[in-house]
Amino acid sequence: MQSNLVNFIQVLRSHEVRVSPAETLDAVDVAATLGYANRSLLRDGLAMTLAKTPEEEVIFMHCFDRFFQQGLADFAAPEIPASVSEQADLSTTTNAARQAADFTAAQVTALQLSAENSATLQVLLTTPLMQHLLNNDRTELTLAMNQASERVGLQQIQMFTQKGQFTRRILDAMGEEQIRNAVISLEQTGSPALPVLQRYRDILREQVRDYVEREYLLHAEGRTRQFMDEILSKTRLNNIEHIYLHKVQELIRKMAKKLATRHSRKRKLLKRGRLDMAKTLRKGIPNDGVMFNTYWRQVRKEKPRILAVCDVSGSVAAYAKFLLLFLYSLQDVLPKVRSFAFSSHLGEVSAYFNDYSVEKAIELVNWKYGGATDYGNSLLDFAKLAMDDINSNTTVIILGDARNNNGDPKLDILQSIYQRARQVIWLNPESRRAWGSGDSEMLRYQSACHFSAECNNLKHLERIIDQLLKSTR
Amino acid sequence: MHTQDFPQLASVEQIERGFESYGYICSRKIATAVFLAFQLRKPVLVEGPPGVGKTELAKTIALLLDLPLIRLQCYEGLDEAKALYEWKYGKQLLYTQVLKEKLGDLLQGAHGLAESVAKLHQFGDIFYSEDFLEPRPLLKAMQQEKGAILLIDEVDKSDYEFESLLLEILSDYQISIPEIGTVKARTAPMVFLTSNNTRDISDALKRRCLHLYIPFPTVELEERIIRSRVPNVEAQLRHQLVEFVHSLRQLDLKKAPAISETIDWARSLLLLHAEQLEEELVRSTLNVLLKYEDDIDAADSELRTLVRDRLADNRAR
Repeated sequence: MQSNLVNFIQVLRSHEVRVSPAETLDAVDVAATLGYANRSLLRDGLAMTLAKTPEEEVIFMHCFDRFFQQGLADFAAPEIPASVSEQADLSTTTNAARQAADFTAAQVTALQLSAENSATLQVLLTTPLMQHLLNNDRTELTLAMNQASERVGLQQIQMFTQKGQFTRRILDAMGEEQIRNAVISLEQTGSPALPVLQRYRDILREQVRDYVEREYLLHAEGRTRQFMDEILSKTRLNNIEHIYLHKVQELIRKMAKKLATRHSRKRKLLKRGRLDMAKTLRKGIPNDGVMFNTYWRQVRKEKPRILAVCDVSGSVAAYAKFLLLFLYSLQDVLPKVRSFAFSSHLGEVSAYFNDYSVEKAIELVNWKYGGATDYGNSLLDFAKLAMDDINSNTTVIILGDARNNNGDPKLDILQSIYQRARQVIWLNPESRRAWGSGDSEMLRYQSACHFSAECNNLKHLERIIDQLLKSTR
Repeated sequence: MHTQDFPQLASVEQIERGFESYGYICSRKIATAVFLAFQLRKPVLVEGPPGVGKTELAKTIALLLDLPLIRLQCYEGLDEAKALYEWKYGKQLLYTQVLKEKLGDLLQGAHGLAESVAKLHQFGDIFYSEDFLEPRPLLKAMQQEKGAILLIDEVDKSDYEFESLLLEILSDYQISIPEIGTVKARTAPMVFLTSNNTRDISDALKRRCLHLYIPFPTVELEERIIRSRVPNVEAQLRHQLVEFVHSLRQLDLKKAPAISETIDWARSLLLLHAEQLEEELVRSTLNVLLKYEDDIDAADSELRTLVRDRLADNRAR
């Protein structure tokens, strides 16, 4: 049972419930304390050690039921063919049952009769597999299937494409080959028992296929999802298919949460070396003026301010969406985000994010500010709106391809922003090689940025925002 | 704590019965958590929306086991001086004054500075000994002879640093005091941490605890709770009011009414001699259930249908 528990924990891990070795030990303790007799008690107990959030608990319950409630496979004899049942009088169920039993018996005799003419069939009928099939011995067959799957390592299944392969291997391990051979030899002789044997073969195949399907869901579904996430985070953001957008948003939330926990330590520093004399004296008064405790001047760092300026013209809109989604998912650590959107002109869009959910706000922004790009004009607008707010505590993030349709880039404005701000970061979805080609002003703008980077997939985005959070503390 | 000392905690069913006798009606899951916490000596991290009885759970166990309940309310800026221990500065000061006068007597016969210092060393470091230690809740819980129930309330309100401070206490039931050494618990206390999920608790802390999530109760459970807490409410009204609260929770509210609010509401209805829910009555007492003006407005518009549904239910029964 203990190895079963460990297997179960493997399943949980593949479904993204993080279980440490120490928790595994706890789970073993819990199982030992509660015993295996009461299922729901055990489930609740294990959930307490293995699932650490309500979401994980849902996954846990789901996996637990699937893992520990595998019913026995049903190998019941094939249905009575329609022609037979029509002829038979089926007025009472007992009658039908008897009919079915008779029918099975008839099949068995049919097989045995033809066996006299065929050596292969004779041998086959004595094998345990065929015996169990004929007797519809579910326990034995399920057991055989489990053992076979263990031998071929079904738990290692990773991708859905492997399902057929594993089904084949399990069938082989169970000795299905003999049935196959017998079917072939019966086909050659044209024996009357052929359809009967074929039906048994099909039932077996179907059962194994179902079994593999169940195991796949249990072991690999989570892994496939991880694989999917991995792929998505490396795909260029504007290439991601529409149907995966919600998955990307989920992924962004997850990344944002990770970054938030990493960076949300309190921004309070003790600056040892400067004694706060007044406070030390004051606090010493109750102790008869003896300065028992010393107090040091503290520096409280101001929370950083971030101004995000996003190009929402057609070519870059997709990226802007994800950057904004990321920034606004980081509200815990970045409480003061102001966002601006532009294409031909620029406006502040922070209000949308206060009033609506992030997704809805992004839609509205795209709708309102989409169009052809004019960087010069937009920088001018930005300076008018926000220049007074930029100080040594402000980070300005600009997202755009810097393709200005050959207009005036107004570099001087960006330079004055550069001089006032703590840092100016330019994120460009184009690859570095394309910077400066054609109407791109990137090389010129780059000279007025502290940092510029190529940013077109989630991995880039995560890395850049991680850096941003590090540098703002 | 040993199993034989506390027969109240011998099995899950016994815990349920014990709780019930103190008016705390709990689900099987909660009782299992308590049972495991006791058997495995692990702290329990209790999460859930406010007002579902997280704090009450710890209080009830203290009653059930007749052990002292030591409570530490967490808040931003809580540090070890308030949570663990503090030195008794006043007493230390007083002793220095006394020592100053006695110094002559103590050093009698010593010649030279080196000899005096050597003589002083014989007295040990009395100023930093347990006599001068002012225990705060965490240390106090460790010092209880027969064990204690330690409730660390709203741990999510504290800082990250404080969480790390808790780690040693929660896994080994000991505290390291630099001047003295490690203080081990005389009897390991039973620890409950509560969290309202305002921020994520660190994995290190979660790993050391059993995780218990208390959701809003089912209708049936909540009715039993009301019956136990406000026994004078008629069965019919009780059913109506619990159903009503449940339907309120379905609405999109800032803060859904919790069990404690249901109990308060049941008491208010009792005071008003209500026999069944009526729209006017509900409207005038809605502020007991809902704590935000927006929520009250939102519920107000739905009120008529909600109350009518409850009454219709009732007739159907």
